[in-house]
Amino acid sequence: MGAHLVRRYLGDSSVEPDPLRMPTFPPDYGFPGRKEREMVATQQEMNDAQLTLQQRDYCAHYLIRLLKCKRDSFPNFLACKHEQHDWDYCEHLDYVKRMKEYERERRLLQRKKRREQKEAEMARGQGPGEVAPEVAL
Amino acid sequence: MNPFHTPSLTSLIILMTPMVLVMTKTHTKDYYPYYMKTSISYAFTISLIPTLLFINSGQEAIISNWHWVTIQTLKLTMSFKLDYFSVVFIPVALFITWSIMEFSMWYMSNDPYINQFFKYLMLFLITMMILVTANNLFQLFIGWEGVGIMSFLLIGWWHGRTDANTAALQAILYNRIGDIGFILTMAWFLMHSNTWDLQQIFMLNQTPDTLPLIGLLLAATGKSAQFGLHPWLPSAMEGPTPVSALLHSSTMVVAGVFLLIRFYPLTENNKTIQTLTLCLGAMTSLFTAICALTQNDIKKIVAFSTSSQLGLMMVTMGINQPHLAFLHICTHAFFKAMLFMCSGSIIHNLNNEQDIRKMGGLLKTMPLTSSSLIIGSLALSGIPFLTGFYSKDLIIETANTSNTNAWALLITLIATSLTAIYSSRIIFFVLLGQPRFLITPTINENNNLLINPIKRLAAGSIFAGFLLYNNIPPMTTPQMTMPLYLKILALTMTALGFSLAMELNTITYNLKLNKPSPLLKFSTQLGFFPMTMHRLMPHYKLTLSQNMASLLLDLTWLEKAMPKALSHLQIASSTTTSNQKGLIKLYFLSLLTSLLLTTLLTI
Repeated sequence: MGAHLVRRYLGDSSVEPDPLRMPTFPPDYGFPGRKEREMVATQQEMNDAQLTLQQRDYCAHYLIRLLKCKRDSFPNFLACKHEQHDWDYCEHLDYVKRMKEYERERRLLQRKKRREQKEAEMARGQGPGEVAPEVAL
Repeated sequence: MNPFHTPSLTSLIILMTPMVLVMTKTHTKDYYPYYMKTSISYAFTISLIPTLLFINSGQEAIISNWHWVTIQTLKLTMSFKLDYFSVVFIPVALFITWSIMEFSMWYMSNDPYINQFFKYLMLFLITMMILVTANNLFQLFIGWEGVGIMSFLLIGWWHGRTDANTAALQAILYNRIGDIGFILTMAWFLMHSNTWDLQQIFMLNQTPDTLPLIGLLLAATGKSAQFGLHPWLPSAMEGPTPVSALLHSSTMVVAGVFLLIRFYPLTENNKTIQTLTLCLGAMTSLFTAICALTQNDIKKIVAFSTSSQLGLMMVTMGINQPHLAFLHICTHAFFKAMLFMCSGSIIHNLNNEQDIRKMGGLLKTMPLTSSSLIIGSLALSGIPFLTGFYSKDLIIETANTSNTNAWALLITLIATSLTAIYSSRIIFFVLLGQPRFLITPTINENNNLLINPIKRLAAGSIFAGFLLYNNIPPMTTPQMTMPLYLKILALTMTALGFSLAMELNTITYNLKLNKPSPLLKFSTQLGFFPMTMHRLMPHYKLTLSQNMASLLLDLTWLEKAMPKALSHLQIASSTTTSNQKGLIKLYFLSLLTSLLLTTLLTI
């Protein structure tokens, strides 16, 4: 997770994915039958709750529940701990998923670079050594 | 009219009442300051109603009451935008102004023109409210200029003092340079969007050009003392301490950042302006924190601290978090105003001594002031669960986890630790150790007008962050997940700063000072910026203009180019090309002699 702070500057930046140009590889590359994520909150519900654009993500249904709880329990501002935790946990899981996507992108870039290097070596005539078939070159 | 609009307008009208009562004799009476303070406390209480309504139901409003003029296609009205930002800021500003007015009843009690002082403060507050609630750029500009003028009048309050006049003029000039940017923005929006109303501007400019946003950034640089237009803020400490507490820490200097926050729908779509804001804010934060390290005037240290926190607010705008920047504005107002009020209490009790090298040992003699100073410094440094934590720590966490400029982030972290360093410097020199001042036996805190405001703001410094953070509806998604080392990075830098500072401070008891190093000279001379910009540049320009006027114009164009050149040319050519020596008498005599001789010889 220190990619944007250290690895991009001090390490090899060609294998670090650029967050502004993700994803470079198709989403189901290596995952046959991968389905797209579905929103739980509908467009109409989000419009009614007057959510801002940034808040309309995959955890919007928890946020709508939180806003309702806050409105109902006013002036007790310490009340909605359960709903707050639900929303925060959903956002945390979303963050973990995004980190996993980032890491997948990074490893695919590394693999691409390794394969290109191998091809360049083959073209020059320096063949690889014998390795077991499970090593993904 | 529902319960939202009426209290808002009522609280604004309550503020205007003491000004209007100038018609009567109220403003010459002794109770006028008390009357002002009470009216502000009423305005604060009433302005809480719209805030609570907003927290409950998210209601925002726009009040357009007076249509002023329609010039062809431009319609100018008096309209108030009571949205998230104004409705939360107004009670905060009124609370702080209430405390400061009560404090100035003690601080300025010996001033013969105290009524005028309160009038100026009230006028400043009114223009600040106009700025904050403005729905169009014209009304915002009225408030903008108003706070600038009141700043000038209040900084130069003791106008018999040359330094105060210079400082007031400096404030006006630097703010004017920022106003150029504001007017650029107004002109651009008038030409391209045909309006000065915020709603129409936001609707028509989804992907704005960089030019109007650069104008806004320049305006914010001037008003909020960012790097390049910053020297006026430490010089503004020539004004009385209540002025420093109100204008130059909590309310006026945040007007620039507030302007950028108002325009967040435009800045969030333009990456260039975000990068510029980020880098400018980071540079300001570090530079002013470095300058604060070696100042010896307690008010100047707090002024540079304000400038550093303003840089942090710009950094927050640069990472596209306007709501966090706004939260920092509100929390910062509490503890910064309190720090200034504690400084004012110390200054007055030590008989107007402002140099921290001549203070010391005040921990036991002024317990409330010293406790509040420590609470304020801890809140400023972002100690967990005090006020500053809820805004400052969030800002640093968000900056750590965003895809942003790593240099700016590093600079901000260094500035965070420098904050802790200069805060502990103040505490060490002012409160700890043995007294270094002449013993004045009248050090006391016996006046309620001094104690109550400080206690109120101390309670605010402890609880306001918690209250604000838990009550404000979430407008963005806070980033909660990050590795441990990023989460505690801000706290680590602060702890590092505190320990380093106490170590260095205790060293000063034993070793003697060496020759000043270049870095010390850089910091003490404020980065050589005032020296260069205030002395070198004007001297160069004045010399240049003198040369242009006297040598270029008078001497060269008016004399040497045509008249003298012609005459010299004539004389030179006539003396060179003639072979006559001009000896008329000799020629005439020789003519006469030869004629005479010829005549005599032929007779």
